[in-house]
Amino acid sequence: MSEVATVATGWGVTFVIVTTYALWVVGRGKAIGRELGIGEQEELDLGSDSSTSANS
Amino acid sequence: MLHEVLLIALKDLRVEWRSKVTLGQVAPMGLLVLVVFAFAFDANTRLLELGAGGLFWVAVLFGGTLLIQRAFEVETDDGNFDAFRMSTIRAPSLFLGKSLGIFIQVVLLELVLGPGIVLLYNVRIDDWLLLLAAALGGTLAFSVCGVLWGVMAAGTRVRATLLPLLLVPILAPVLLAGSRAFETAFGVRAEAGWTWASLMFVIAAVHAAVGMGTFGFLLEES
Amino acid sequence: MSPARGNKYMTASPATRVLGVVAVAAALLMALLGLIVSPADVVQGQAVRMLYLHVPSIWIAYGAFVLTAVSSALFLIRSRRREDSGRHHDRLAGAAAEVGVVFAGITLVTGMLWGRVTWGTYWQWDARLTTTVLLFVTYLGYLALRRLPADPMIRGRRSAVMALISIINVPIVHFSVDWWRTLHQKASLSVGRRPEITGEMYWTLLYSTLAVTIVASWLIVHRYRVIRLEELRDEEALNALIASRLREDE
Repeated sequence: MSEVATVATGWGVTFVIVTTYALWVVGRGKAIGRELGIGEQEELDLGSDSSTSANS
Repeated sequence: MLHEVLLIALKDLRVEWRSKVTLGQVAPMGLLVLVVFAFAFDANTRLLELGAGGLFWVAVLFGGTLLIQRAFEVETDDGNFDAFRMSTIRAPSLFLGKSLGIFIQVVLLELVLGPGIVLLYNVRIDDWLLLLAAALGGTLAFSVCGVLWGVMAAGTRVRATLLPLLLVPILAPVLLAGSRAFETAFGVRAEAGWTWASLMFVIAAVHAAVGMGTFGFLLEES
Repeated sequence: MSPARGNKYMTASPATRVLGVVAVAAALLMALLGLIVSPADVVQGQAVRMLYLHVPSIWIAYGAFVLTAVSSALFLIRSRRREDSGRHHDRLAGAAAEVGVVFAGITLVTGMLWGRVTWGTYWQWDARLTTTVLLFVTYLGYLALRRLPADPMIRGRRSAVMALISIINVPIVHFSVDWWRTLHQKASLSVGRRPEITGEMYWTLLYSTLAVTIVASWLIVHRYRVIRLEELRDEEALNALIASRLREDE
């Protein structure tokens, strides 16, 4: 693997790991919230929250 | 306190004496591990001689884990920890007593494995004093760490798989130090064997102190 | 650190939403600086760009594990004084440990890739790499212990003791592994020594550390809230079970 390809792999893997983890955390929060009987209003709020986390 | 420690240790040894699990099952398994290592190294005598110190401690780790497992199974199966909580025996005494019981059983295991590596791996012992000191330090460290993690995993349904996962990372320095000290004692490495041996006593002391301080928290549950 | 008042089942609050936006922006700027703006190193070439991820990640991992240990100690003290108190410390310990494991994993991946370029091999028995992999496995065990079903207070106490022992072991592991590798094969270790980092690279590294810290804080806050939701759900399930039992008895 060339140097550039290795660096790209490292950054790519890191961003995938962090994004997946963030999405999992938010998704789990949403799922349990729904299980506990959360209203429509809050659903909308959580939706906007997950969009910010998707990239972080 | 000493009386309580001895009471617990003797109880465990009596259970062991009646069931003969250490000598009858765990020690032969340890010997099997030594034989299997020879398969892994293609019976290369030089490699086995060089690695004998490390292989000894790995075999102790495998066998010792089983002993710890068992030492806590005999308690949790009958709900003995509830009985301990209600008795006047204090948590630190229970911790030291269990550790002493494990210590003696691991020593028994080592008395089988030691001659095993000498005979099977063609090991020469240069420094008996260092060998004994390292074995003592390593076994002490193993026992106190083992009891600490053993009680943590005890009573959970996944204890058989959980205990090794918790135990091995914490024992990594002991394995490292024991292997290096034994290699010096076997004359295959000229390095600071005594320093490694002392490190194991330090590890044992640190974990003994932590264990005596926290064992009470762990008992409140199992 | 509790979610906004009025909707207690949410993991978001206005403050953390701002934090989330800042985290995304910081991460994008970090990628820009680390991958494009900062120059390649004279000695290491492009591989130096890996350090902008590697060094902040290990800092977060260590920081998170220390946070776990401190929270665990506080939890033990609080729960001893009064039954069922200090559970937020336990939640924080769990959230921090999980984020720490994620970043320890990233440290290992980026470190191995960096080693592939610089050393020519993925793995060296370098003291720091070995310590990190042991730390990673230790905290995987911690998370496994936390996942076991048990009474929350019991589980909290058990995992708190484990967190304390684990943190005490970090210097022991580091010292012994370091000693092992320096007593033996000095030459191979010197390959692993990082050259001095100066100028633009220094600033990029400093900024990356800040950016990764913001991202990790966002993750810890949200994980904390999800743990709280999990506890609420478990309590609710338990209450439902008790209620149905009581009905049966009548």
